[in-house]
Amino acid sequence: MAKSIASEFTKGLWKEVPPFRLVLGLCPVLGVTTSMKNGIGMGLATTFVLLCSNILVSLLRKVIPAKVRIACFIIIIATFVIVVEQMMQAFAYTLFLDLGVFIPLIVVNCIVLGRAEAFASKNGVVKSTADGLGIGLGFTWALGLLGAVRELIGTGSLKGDVFGLIHWDVPNIFGASFEPFGFAVQAPGAFVILGLLLCAMNLIPSK
Amino acid sequence: MNSKKMLIVSHAPFWHDGSGIPERSYHTIIAALPAAFVGIAYYGAPALGVISLAVASAILWELLLNYAGKRPITVGNGNAALIGLLTAMVLPASAPWWLVLIGTFLAIIIGIQIFGGIGANPFNPVALAIAILMVSYKSHLDFDTALVNFTLDFPSTTDPLAALKAFGPAAVEDLNPVDLFMGRQVGGLGSSCGLALALGGIYLMLRGIIRWEISIAFIAGVFISAMLFNMADPVRYAPPMFHLLTGYTLIGAFFLATESSSSPVNFIPMLVYGALGGVMAVLIRNIGVYVDGVIFAILLINLINPLVDKIRPKAIGKVA
Amino acid sequence: MGEMIKMVMVLTILSVISGGGLKGLEEWAKPKIENNVMNLVKGPAIRQILEAADNDPVEDRFKIKDGDQELNIFVGVFGGKADTVVVESSANGFADKVGMVVAINMTDDTLRGMAVTTHKETPGLGAMAKDDPNFSAQFAGKNITDSFGVTNDGGQISALSGATITSRAVCSGINQAVDTYNRLKPQLQEQIKGMGN
Repeated sequence: MAKSIASEFTKGLWKEVPPFRLVLGLCPVLGVTTSMKNGIGMGLATTFVLLCSNILVSLLRKVIPAKVRIACFIIIIATFVIVVEQMMQAFAYTLFLDLGVFIPLIVVNCIVLGRAEAFASKNGVVKSTADGLGIGLGFTWALGLLGAVRELIGTGSLKGDVFGLIHWDVPNIFGASFEPFGFAVQAPGAFVILGLLLCAMNLIPSK
Repeated sequence: MNSKKMLIVSHAPFWHDGSGIPERSYHTIIAALPAAFVGIAYYGAPALGVISLAVASAILWELLLNYAGKRPITVGNGNAALIGLLTAMVLPASAPWWLVLIGTFLAIIIGIQIFGGIGANPFNPVALAIAILMVSYKSHLDFDTALVNFTLDFPSTTDPLAALKAFGPAAVEDLNPVDLFMGRQVGGLGSSCGLALALGGIYLMLRGIIRWEISIAFIAGVFISAMLFNMADPVRYAPPMFHLLTGYTLIGAFFLATESSSSPVNFIPMLVYGALGGVMAVLIRNIGVYVDGVIFAILLINLINPLVDKIRPKAIGKVA
Repeated sequence: MGEMIKMVMVLTILSVISGGGLKGLEEWAKPKIENNVMNLVKGPAIRQILEAADNDPVEDRFKIKDGDQELNIFVGVFGGKADTVVVESSANGFADKVGMVVAINMTDDTLRGMAVTTHKETPGLGAMAKDDPNFSAQFAGKNITDSFGVTNDGGQISALSGATITSRAVCSGINQAVDTYNRLKPQLQEQIKGMGN
């Protein structure tokens, strides 16, 4: 039992990383990853929603009638998204300004609804918690990585913090004469770099 | 392929003249070399450096991806070398080493190999790479700022197209078309000598490697649309000859727009494709924000390529 | 039939719990959010347009009743005299409301400046209303007796290129602010009389 819970958690971290392995939830992946800070912030917000909605859906899975389950899931998810939005405005307002419209868009993020439908509505609370946390953290590192790569190539340095708790500031990694490759932080650059990262992921065998 | 088995039934083409990708690539390289030599003659060692680095790095990128993707090694067919050469020819001679490396990376890996190698690329790889560099590194691809440290004995020491955009046709009206045609103008290191490019283009047409329909339609598109603009308002828009002989027009017409996998194959589509490219180039130059529109025009016509290729004779007996 | 009732019940209960919870959360978060908006968006904008003021306009603010609405008014002190008020307003832009702050000089009824605070306009086009100092600089020093409009509509403000709708929204937001100001002028004069000494 303990082993299966651990494997539900770890599968999200590597084997089923949403943007890279499942290629799901690409709207925020492409939209907000102009910097590592935004990527991680978005990832953590999604993790919170995923975790809470997974737990609640799993608790209510016997009560929710099958015919209206999608509507119920959306109510639950939307509630937590608004919670995140309000909390972020109250405690991390600058991050909220950066992420903007992508926070409300977590409601329609297919990863969240996908996990509720495919996993939480069929499994127990503990397993669903592990699943939600794993997938969410996988999403977070994927967004963080993509954001870091784009920020590095596009600006030459890494700078930011996570909710004021962890700070990083690495100026001019490629030396002072480096000229930023502006394409990387523009929208088309997001597609190209995501594609290259997918290539790199596929070079590493998944098992 | 070369085994002596009898009675092989294979798909089309049933007749083959023995040439292959290597021949096409090497003939195109031969056709492009005169213009590159003109660039070396005008700009000296830096131009030679850019060309050598571009060709070498293009081959290395392709080799690297062949290994990484565990695919057959394809650098022998000369296509990578050709793309490296063409990339170098549209860059200014002052391009720093990393700009050349990024350019060939974008052309070879993002432009071709990602889509599955030669013949599968929807865009002209060189145009794609230069377009990305143009939006990322404006100052390095702006010939006026890039070439500021070169002493050139050209009639005008500024990019004619930039001068046209900034000051109107009056600033460029004393430029002699013969000078422009001989490449005595500020521009890409291998893309400014119209004579050498035209010679290369005619050689390729005679060899049957590029189709005359596309090149002629492209040039006609540039000429006619520029003429209409010029007739409408000669104070604001330059004469057609000027547009024809400056910037990337001729390298676009002969070497970029004609790239085999991103251009159409039927007669009418080729004319439509080329003419639209020429018109778009002049539109971007005359009313767009960019100094030279040829690169973007070629990317745009690459996009409509599958669409225009639908214009074709109806197959006999096929219903609807 | 039983299933139908169950469906309705579950959905209703879920919605009620969700709505009630969120209302509570909003009540709790609202002052914090307003505080954040004040410190991080409006504050810097107001301080910037009233850079030369002797006081801190964000500190010296008061609320005033306009009908059944409560408005924030910020006061700027120039040369020892409280003569400038900053009025907030908003107007419909290309996407959602464009919020702005408008500083009006009360002695000669001219605009001292304006700044866009909150918006969701297109980056690079409408968002330039906030980012392009040349656009907002057009308003400074203009007399408020004539209403504002973009040149396309016969006004005197040149619109941002590619963002006429946003430019119109900014103009109409300023006109609203001026209306509010004119309506409340006596009360405002009363309020700021004692300030700035």
